[in-house]
Amino acid sequence: MTNGWCDIANTDVVLVMGGNPAENHPVGFRFVMEAKRKRKAKLICVDPRFNRTAAVSDSYVPLRAGTDIAFLGGLIHYTLENNLHHEDYVKAHTNAAFLLRDDYGFEAGHFTGWNGEKKLYDKTSWQYDLDGSGFAKVDETLQNPRSVFQAMKRHYARYTPEKVAEICGCTSEEFTGAAKVICSTGRAGKVGTILYALGWTHHSHSVQLIHTAAMLQLLLGNIGLPGGGVNAQRGHANIQGSTDMGAWNMLPGYLRLPRANHQSLEEYLKATTPKPLRPNSMNYWGNTPKFATSLLKAYYGPEAKKENGFGFHNLPKLGESENQSWGFFFDRMHRKEMQGFISFGMNPVANGPNTEKMLEALAQLEWLVVVENFETETASFWNAKKLGDKFYPKFVDAAAIKTEVLLLPAACFAEKDGAFVNSSRWLQWKKAAVPPPGLAKTDNEIIGRLFTAVRALYEKEGGKGAETLKAMQWNYAKPEAPALDEVAREVNGRDHTTNEQLAGFAALKDDGTTSCGNWIYSGSWTQAGNQMARRGQEDPTGLGLYPNYAWSWPANRRILYNRAAADSDGKPWSASHATIKWDGARWTGDTPDYKGDAKPDQYGAFIMLPEGVAKFFTADLAEGPFPEHYEPAESPVANALHPSVSFNPVAPVMHSSADTLGDAAKFPYVAITYRLTEHFHFWTKHVASGTQLQSNFFIELPAALAREKGIKGGDNVRVTSARGSVEGPALVTERMRPLKVSGKTVYHVGIPIHWGYIGRVRGPLVNNLTPSVFDPNSGTPEYKGFLVNVEKMA
Amino acid sequence: MTTVAKLIDTTLCIGCKACEVACQEWNEQEFTLGVFANTYQTLPDLAPNFWNLIKFNEEYKDGAQAWLMAKYQCMHCAEPGCLKACPSPGAIVQLPNGIVDFHQDNCIGCGYCITGCPFDVPRLSPTTKKVYKCSLCSDRVGAGLTPACIRTCPTNCLTFGARADLVQIANQRAVELKADGHKDAGVYDGPGVGGTNVIYVLKHASTPESYGLPKDPTIPWTVALWKGPLKWVANAAFIGTAVGAMLHYLKFGPKEVHGDKAD
Amino acid sequence: MHFHVFDAAGESLGSFGTADHGRRAVTKQIDRFSFAERASHWVSAICFLYAALTGLALWSPKLFWLSGVFGGGEVVRAWHPWAGMIFSCALGVMIRRWSAQMQLDEDDQIWLAKSHLYAQNIEAGLPESGRFNAGQKMLFWTQSAAALGLVFTGVVLWFPESMPRALRLGAILLHPACASVSIGGIIVHIYMSTLGVPGALQAMVRGTVSEEWAKSHHGKWYREVAGR
Repeated sequence: MTNGWCDIANTDVVLVMGGNPAENHPVGFRFVMEAKRKRKAKLICVDPRFNRTAAVSDSYVPLRAGTDIAFLGGLIHYTLENNLHHEDYVKAHTNAAFLLRDDYGFEAGHFTGWNGEKKLYDKTSWQYDLDGSGFAKVDETLQNPRSVFQAMKRHYARYTPEKVAEICGCTSEEFTGAAKVICSTGRAGKVGTILYALGWTHHSHSVQLIHTAAMLQLLLGNIGLPGGGVNAQRGHANIQGSTDMGAWNMLPGYLRLPRANHQSLEEYLKATTPKPLRPNSMNYWGNTPKFATSLLKAYYGPEAKKENGFGFHNLPKLGESENQSWGFFFDRMHRKEMQGFISFGMNPVANGPNTEKMLEALAQLEWLVVVENFETETASFWNAKKLGDKFYPKFVDAAAIKTEVLLLPAACFAEKDGAFVNSSRWLQWKKAAVPPPGLAKTDNEIIGRLFTAVRALYEKEGGKGAETLKAMQWNYAKPEAPALDEVAREVNGRDHTTNEQLAGFAALKDDGTTSCGNWIYSGSWTQAGNQMARRGQEDPTGLGLYPNYAWSWPANRRILYNRAAADSDGKPWSASHATIKWDGARWTGDTPDYKGDAKPDQYGAFIMLPEGVAKFFTADLAEGPFPEHYEPAESPVANALHPSVSFNPVAPVMHSSADTLGDAAKFPYVAITYRLTEHFHFWTKHVASGTQLQSNFFIELPAALAREKGIKGGDNVRVTSARGSVEGPALVTERMRPLKVSGKTVYHVGIPIHWGYIGRVRGPLVNNLTPSVFDPNSGTPEYKGFLVNVEKMA
Repeated sequence: MTTVAKLIDTTLCIGCKACEVACQEWNEQEFTLGVFANTYQTLPDLAPNFWNLIKFNEEYKDGAQAWLMAKYQCMHCAEPGCLKACPSPGAIVQLPNGIVDFHQDNCIGCGYCITGCPFDVPRLSPTTKKVYKCSLCSDRVGAGLTPACIRTCPTNCLTFGARADLVQIANQRAVELKADGHKDAGVYDGPGVGGTNVIYVLKHASTPESYGLPKDPTIPWTVALWKGPLKWVANAAFIGTAVGAMLHYLKFGPKEVHGDKAD
Repeated sequence: MHFHVFDAAGESLGSFGTADHGRRAVTKQIDRFSFAERASHWVSAICFLYAALTGLALWSPKLFWLSGVFGGGEVVRAWHPWAGMIFSCALGVMIRRWSAQMQLDEDDQIWLAKSHLYAQNIEAGLPESGRFNAGQKMLFWTQSAAALGLVFTGVVLWFPESMPRALRLGAILLHPACASVSIGGIIVHIYMSTLGVPGALQAMVRGTVSEEWAKSHHGKWYREVAGR
């Protein structure tokens, strides 16, 4: 989240899209209700289903799964067409004025630079028009046809309300009705927020989708303001923490993973440290050498010296263009290119796309270690043929599987201390409530024991990589069970000249005198103690920022980009939304996202970016500098904007023997998968209370489709995709409207995810159906908006 | 003693069911399994181990869509129909704070309360042969805590407090909703049973049935007739007949055999 | 002379009236009630008494103390319906045996019209009765009808959790209403069969009555059985 849960109470308009917070974030949703009650905020819900959020919304607009960019693009068009944007904000804080190269363009579904053979873009034409000193040229009037603003206007001119209706399946009146409310926040004094979750990230164009949302919010001047922002509601208690710590394809603090062409620290830093693109850009990522060196210092301790590049050579490196995200490494596993796999707090058989492929992939392994609270589908994948019954026709019998499976019982969240990082970016320290049962151990002990045992083996027997392990600093009082407060202190970082905890990342150095496990967490455990354990409830700004409650990264800042809440003179756009303000000598309010004593005009407001301002146009993403609507990999219709380039041209689609795609002739309905409030992922089916609240797997069907097929509520139905099938009782409802898409009636089929072949209650795994299609930027699978068929079972 | 109450603002309910679990956990009721019935609702109805049920009702009329969610439980009536019907003294008690509580030790399991209740709330356990329902967490309230459901509600849909205050809040909320364009908004608190200590704010106050709430709840007339006029008429008849028989004997004596008279 | 006989449970079986024991030896006895009739009568009587008294306990909290006499509320709740079931079975036997004899004839209509005379022990002008007089017949039908109501509504009340609410709402009123009629009738019946008509109780206990008794209370029947 750019803002935070409590902050939603400050908003005037809530757009919920690609998420269902009433269902999946009921506790955070209280702040939406508070905004509705106390500020008369309007809640707009856009979703294929009239869901729990829609039930309490002021207006609901249906849309076809996978067409969110068309809807948001339509909102951008509506805003620009009707001059509803916050002009001063756009001029002061975005790259709207930047000039583009004259070879940039977009035609018939492709941006310039498309290489049809390699299926890749050459991004040269996506750069700014630079002057002699390497700075981007600008036109403050925004009138230059090569300005980002004009290019954006042209790009979205195609997204008329009629086009949106044609693609998304709502009526153009419904769209403009919602647009009127959403785009009303472009004036000072009125602010809107966008809440999203996996309904946006589970697409083959998910990052671009969120980019579109950010563009809309920038146009309306809603970024950096209380009650504004683009707010991702994270789906697990600590998923934000695992992202921050680099569990996915990153080093901690969003430092990029070194690649094969970065043979030295210098080469790595040169490639990953950006240069400013405007004279007034603070370009805070310019400090990457300090963050990276301190991280290496934390990893390798005394072994990290200037002479040896601080141990950079010890870091594993990815191939130059290698992708090791989810879909890719399971594809490798499926090709028998991996020997072992540690599934730590993860249940890939249940939550990976195309279950049968997951099963087949695991069966290629020599060994599999599963660290879990319960015996999961993954731990007993070898028995899937028996337990999963008819759903895995091609999978082999247990006897034919050679994989050795080790299940390590792990403590659950209430049985260990440590910190959770929530969607608001708050690091909240917690205490263990009860000891782990039986032989279960905490994660830190499991990792500690594994590490010390493996290292001892290497010391005894030697082998490839022995040096790397030896170099690793493992300075804990109990090496086989590092205490989490020790680790947390290490993550915060130390100054080795004074031997004191760092006060924050501003103190980081690139000379090896500081160590820091994650630069964005620096400040969480200072010399003053554990900041994450704070529970102060003071609210000096009256905006619900609660600066003394827990600790928020970065630098205990509660609202990201808050400098943008004030104009070029440091005066808040509106007094009621003053996140920070310039008092002549310094900034007051929230921790400024700026230098605390720097004059308002000294730097651009977006200090992290080389531009110094926020980006409508960016060469950072794979499929284009502006988001464009592409259909899902499996779609009932061709792309109404450019039928010849219907699908995202750069989205990875796997082609193993288990990976097939279906078409609308055989699979006419659009399927979506989702969670229910009663359950948490694939976990609570082991828990008595959750299983009582929703005991049965079910398939949600539009009443109109059910009538067509003669299906009544409770009848058993089979849903089939090109990958597999699920079976269960139908929940027939009017809450899923048939949609008119390009003149064709499109039905959705809704399938909640929480069941599996192990647990107190059982049901088919939804991912039997889903395709191995991924977002090119994040590697997230397209779990929503694939094609299925539905039949009534005898 | 102040009459306590629970306010349910259905416009803030998202059907998350946290109250259902909190209720079962605090009251140490066993978790069972639900039966699929084409709805998100946990169970079709309240159960002996399930005293707090969110009812889900879908409405689809002329293109207008609604998915109404409202928590259902004992209403803690000022004139409780259950208490009126109960034969066993001490099985149902009305506490000075207005809570209507069941004491299973004194319950004989006749189930009259189930029939007497205008809201059809109490449930007879087939195993213990006792009747159960929401106690408004009388144990918690007695210790100065709020009831478990209210403590756990994430959206502030539930409020606990003095009834008089809550009625005021509810009316205020109805006014707000009306101003917001919901012309039919109103308060539901069972005037027909002397007022309930569970108060609802409804968007569609003229049709509480759409939330699964009875319209104009009163103690069933059959129960009222039984516990009122019938009882008195019958009591009088029993005594009258017995006394009549006695007087008859005194006045006319027994019917002798004719032959005896001849003797 | 009155004396009471008690069974082991301390329940009164009824009081023996003033039947003249001394005379029984010299007077010719006539069979009035067969064993089956007497057995079914007394089984139903005992069950009725139990159900009535426990029913009164459930009728009002003020009478709930009665449940203590019979083992407490839960026991009463459990057994009351069973007593009702046995009662209705025994009643069923009686209905099968007597319903034909309980049909009202023309004499009975006259009898009923002049029943105020009967109440005043004025026999003159009243038609002779058959095996049962019109009052007994009326009682029989009243009790049978009330019992039928009690059984049906009783079953509904027995299993409240599996009965539709509308049925329960009806039953909860009709059951005590039927019981009131029934209890009222039984008070009259007990009075008449003990104090009211000496010799009647003996008929139901021993099965026999004296010729004189038969002649004076059930003349028509006497002539039938005596063959004159």
